[in-house]
Amino acid sequence: MSWDTLIPLIAILPLAGFVFTAAAGRRLGKQAHWVPVGAVFLAWLIAMAAAFSALTGTEPFGEHGYGVRLFEWIPAGDFVVDVGFFVDNLTACLLIVVTTIGLLVHVYSVGYMSHDPGYWRFFAYLNLFMFSMLLLVLAGNFLAVFVAWELVGLCSYLLIGFWYRKRAAALAAKKAFIVNRVGDVGFALGIMLIAVSLGTLDIREVIERIGELDGTTIAAISLLIFAGAMGKSAQFPLHVWLPDAMEGPTPVSALIHAATMVNAGVYLVARTNPIFAHAPEALVVVAGIGIFTAILAASIAMTQTDIKRVLAYSTLSQLGYMFAALGVGAWTAAIFHLMTHGFFKGLLFLGSGSVIHAVHEEQDMRRMGGLAGKIPITYLTMLVGSLAIAGIPPLAGFFSKDEILGESFKLGFYWVWAIGFLVAGLTAFYMFRLMGLTFWGAFRGPKEIWDRIHESPAVMTVPLILLAIPSALLGMALGLPFGASLIGGWLEPVFAEGTELLGHEEAAFNLAGIDGALILASVAVAAVGIAIAWRLFGAELGAIRIGPRPERVRELAARVPFLYRASLNKWWFDDLNHLVFIVIGGRVAAATWWFDREVVDGTVNAIGRVTLLSGRGLRQVQTGRVQNYALGIALGLIAMAGSYLLLAGR
Amino acid sequence: MSNSLDAYLILSGLLFAIGSFGFLARRNAISMLMSIELMLNGVNLSIVAFGAFIPALGAQGSVIALMVIAVAAAEATVGLAIVIAIFRNKKTPLVDEYDQMSQ
Amino acid sequence: MGAVTGIAAIMLVLLGQDWGDALFWILAAVMLGSALLVVTMHDIIRCGLAMMVCFGALAGIYVVLGAPLIAAAQVIVYIGAISVLILFAIMLTQTKDAPSRLVFQTQAVPAAISAVVIAVIIALAIAATDWHEVPERIRLATDALSQVLFNDFVLPFEIVSVLLLAAVVGGVFLAKREPGGPS
Repeated sequence: MSWDTLIPLIAILPLAGFVFTAAAGRRLGKQAHWVPVGAVFLAWLIAMAAAFSALTGTEPFGEHGYGVRLFEWIPAGDFVVDVGFFVDNLTACLLIVVTTIGLLVHVYSVGYMSHDPGYWRFFAYLNLFMFSMLLLVLAGNFLAVFVAWELVGLCSYLLIGFWYRKRAAALAAKKAFIVNRVGDVGFALGIMLIAVSLGTLDIREVIERIGELDGTTIAAISLLIFAGAMGKSAQFPLHVWLPDAMEGPTPVSALIHAATMVNAGVYLVARTNPIFAHAPEALVVVAGIGIFTAILAASIAMTQTDIKRVLAYSTLSQLGYMFAALGVGAWTAAIFHLMTHGFFKGLLFLGSGSVIHAVHEEQDMRRMGGLAGKIPITYLTMLVGSLAIAGIPPLAGFFSKDEILGESFKLGFYWVWAIGFLVAGLTAFYMFRLMGLTFWGAFRGPKEIWDRIHESPAVMTVPLILLAIPSALLGMALGLPFGASLIGGWLEPVFAEGTELLGHEEAAFNLAGIDGALILASVAVAAVGIAIAWRLFGAELGAIRIGPRPERVRELAARVPFLYRASLNKWWFDDLNHLVFIVIGGRVAAATWWFDREVVDGTVNAIGRVTLLSGRGLRQVQTGRVQNYALGIALGLIAMAGSYLLLAGR
Repeated sequence: MSNSLDAYLILSGLLFAIGSFGFLARRNAISMLMSIELMLNGVNLSIVAFGAFIPALGAQGSVIALMVIAVAAAEATVGLAIVIAIFRNKKTPLVDEYDQMSQ
Repeated sequence: MGAVTGIAAIMLVLLGQDWGDALFWILAAVMLGSALLVVTMHDIIRCGLAMMVCFGALAGIYVVLGAPLIAAAQVIVYIGAISVLILFAIMLTQTKDAPSRLVFQTQAVPAAISAVVIAVIIALAIAATDWHEVPERIRLATDALSQVLFNDFVLPFEIVSVLLLAAVVGGVFLAKREPGGPS
C-alpha cells in the first residue's frame, strides 16, 4: 500500500460512498448511514496518516510535498492537463481540518437527521461533498481545482436546498449557487489567463514560472483568482448568500459553511501565494476587502435574532480576518486561523444544532433562555467555543487571532490592525450576547416546550466534546512557542517564496516589547466586549450572576437608530441586489425579450411574408389575356431596342 | 422630302407604332386584327423604301414586299376564321373575355 | 377631300414644292390620319373603312416610291380582299349590345406610352444609321421585277401559293359550323 494508491483513496472513498448510498440508500432506510460514515472514517485515517508523514517530513513527502499523477486528461499539443494529486504541508493542514470535522459532522448527523425522511439522501450528498472538497484540496492543477470548485458549489446547492419543499430553502440554495457562479466566472477567467500566458495549468509549474509574466498580467491573474475566492468564501460584495444558506440543516451549516467549503477561497489564495506576492497591489485589495467584510459582518451579527444567523455572520467576519491576514502577507497566520476557526465554528454550529433540537426546532433566540441547566453538555461545549472565538487565552482563537493582528501591525498595515482590533471586541460582544440570550436568564418560550427540553443523544454530544478539545488546545499546540511556532515551522516551506518576494523579514518575537503589548491589547478588548455583553444580556457563570437588562438594550438601540436599523437590515445589501438585478435586470430582460420577439422574429417573419406577398402580387400578371401578354412583349422589345440603342451609341 | 429614305422609314415607323397601339389597346378582337394589318403594312413600306433607295437590293425589295402581302392575306384569313370560331363559343368579340389561359 | 385639295394647292402654290414632295406629304398625312382613326374610333365598321382609306394612301406612296406593281397588289389584295374580309367578319361577330361603351382596354395608357416609345426608338435608330442610299428614287420597271420574281424567287413564290392554299383550307375548316351545332 504505497502512497500512490493511498492518496487517491482519500478522495475516492467518499465518492464510492456517495455512489453506493445514491444507488442503494433508499432501501436501507435508517441503516443508510453505515457506508458513508465508514467511508469517511477510512478516509480520515488515511488522511491523518498522510498528514502526519507530510508534516514530519518523511519520504516521499520531504519538504515540498509529493505529487501523484493519475492519468493524462487533456493532451492538446503543447497544452497538457494531467489529473493528479499533490500533498504538501499546506495540504496536510487542510486535510486535518476537512477530514476530522467531516467525520464528526457525519456522526452528528446520524442523530440530528434521524427523523428526516430524506436520511439516505443527506448522507449521499454529504459524501459527495467530502469527495469534492478533498479533490479540491488535493488537486495538483488548476483545472481539477476548478472542477472540484464547481462540484463543491453543487453540493452546497443540494444541501442548502435539502428540504426542497420549503420555498425559502430552495430560494436560498439558488441564491448561493448563483452568487458563487459570479465569483466562479472570475476564477475561470483567471485560469484561462494563466493557460494563455503560461501554457500550463499545473500549480507547481505555474508558481515556478509566474515570474516570466509582466506585472499587469500577474495582477490581473491574482485579482481574478481572488474573485473566485470571494464568491466561495463569501467576501463583500458576494457575501449575501451565506446568511441565507442557514436554511439548510445545521450539520450542513457546520460542515460546509463554517469549516470546509468557505475555506476553499482562503486555501486557494494561500496555495497561489507566490502569484499574489508578485502583485502587492492585489494583496492590498485582498486585505481591504477582507477586513471590510469582517467589520461589516460583525456589525450585522450584533442585532440578529436567529441563532444560526449570528453564527453565519460570525463566519463571514472570521473569514474576513483570514483574507486580511493573507492580504498583509501573514500567510501562516491565515492558515492557523483557518484551522482553529474550523474547529470552534464547527463546534458552535453543531452546538446550536443541539440547542435547536432541544427546543424543538425553534431558532429565534428571543424565545430561548435559561437552557444552561437543561442541556449541560451542549452549554459547556458552546461556552468553550465562545471563549475560543472571543480570543480569550489560552484557547485556540486567542493564538490565531492574535497572530493575525500582531502580524498586520508589525508589517505596517495599521488600518487593518485597527479595524481588526475593533472587530475582536465586537466578536466577543455578540458571541456572549448569544450565550446570554440562549443559556442564561429565564426561558422566554412557551411552557410546553420548556417541559420537553432534553439533552441530545450521545451520537450528537460526543462530537461536540470531541470538537471542544481542539478548540481549547489546538492553539497552544500549534501556536507555541511564540515566534517559532509549530505551525510556522510546518508552513514555512510553503510560504517561503511569498514572504521573500514581499520582502517581509522574520523579526524576532519580543514578548516584552511590541508583541506583548499587542497581546495585552487584544485580550483587553475581548474582555471589554464580554463585559458589556454580560451587562446587557446577563451571565450565570460560576460565581458571576448578572441579570439581563432588556430595557437597557432597547435604550441603547434607540440612541443609534440608524445604525441599529442598518445592522438589522444587513445594511440593505439584499435590497440593493434585488433592486439592481431583479427589478432593473428584469426590465432589461423584458426589453430584450420584446426586441427578440418584435425585431428579430419580426424580421424573419417579414421575410416569409415578403415571399408570400410578392407571390400574390406577381400572380396578377397571369391574367390569361393575350393583350396583356402582348404588352409584355412590347415592353420587352422597347427594353431591348432601347438598351441596344444606348449601347451602340456609346 | 420625297427623295430622302429617312422620311419613308420614319413614316413606316409611325405606322407601325400606331398599329401596335391599336393592337395593345383595343377591346374588340377584329380591331386587334386590323391593327396587325396596319403593322404589316408599315413594315412593307419600309421594305419597299429600302428597295427604292439602295441599289444593291434592286428588285428584291419589291419581291419581298409581294411575299409579305401574300402572307398577310393568308394570316388575315386564318385569324378571322379563328375569331369567328371563338365568337361562336363565347358570344362576344371582346378579348377581355378570352381569359381561359389563366386557369 | 376639299380640305385636302386645298392644302395641296396651298403647298404647291405658296411653298413652291414640286409634285413628288407635295404628293408625299398629302399621302403621308392621309395615311397616318386614317391609321389613327382605325385605332381610336368607336364604331368598328367605320374603323374598317378608315383602314381601307389608309391602304389606299399607302398604295399612293408606293407609286411615289416608284413601285407601281406593289401599289397595284396593295390595292387588289389589301383593299379589295382583306378589308372586305374584315368587314364580313365584323358583321358576323356583332353582338346585340354592340357597340359597347368602352373602346379601350384598361391597359390603354401603358399601350399608348409604349407605342410612343417604340416610335421614338425607331426614329432615333433611323436617324443614327448611315444607310448608304442614293439620293434619287430608283424607279423599277415591271419586267425587271418579274424577271427577278420568276427566276431567283420562284421557290418562295411556289411556297407562298401553297401557303395560301393552306390558309384557305384552314380558314374554311376553322370557321365551319359544327354539324348539328348552334349557328
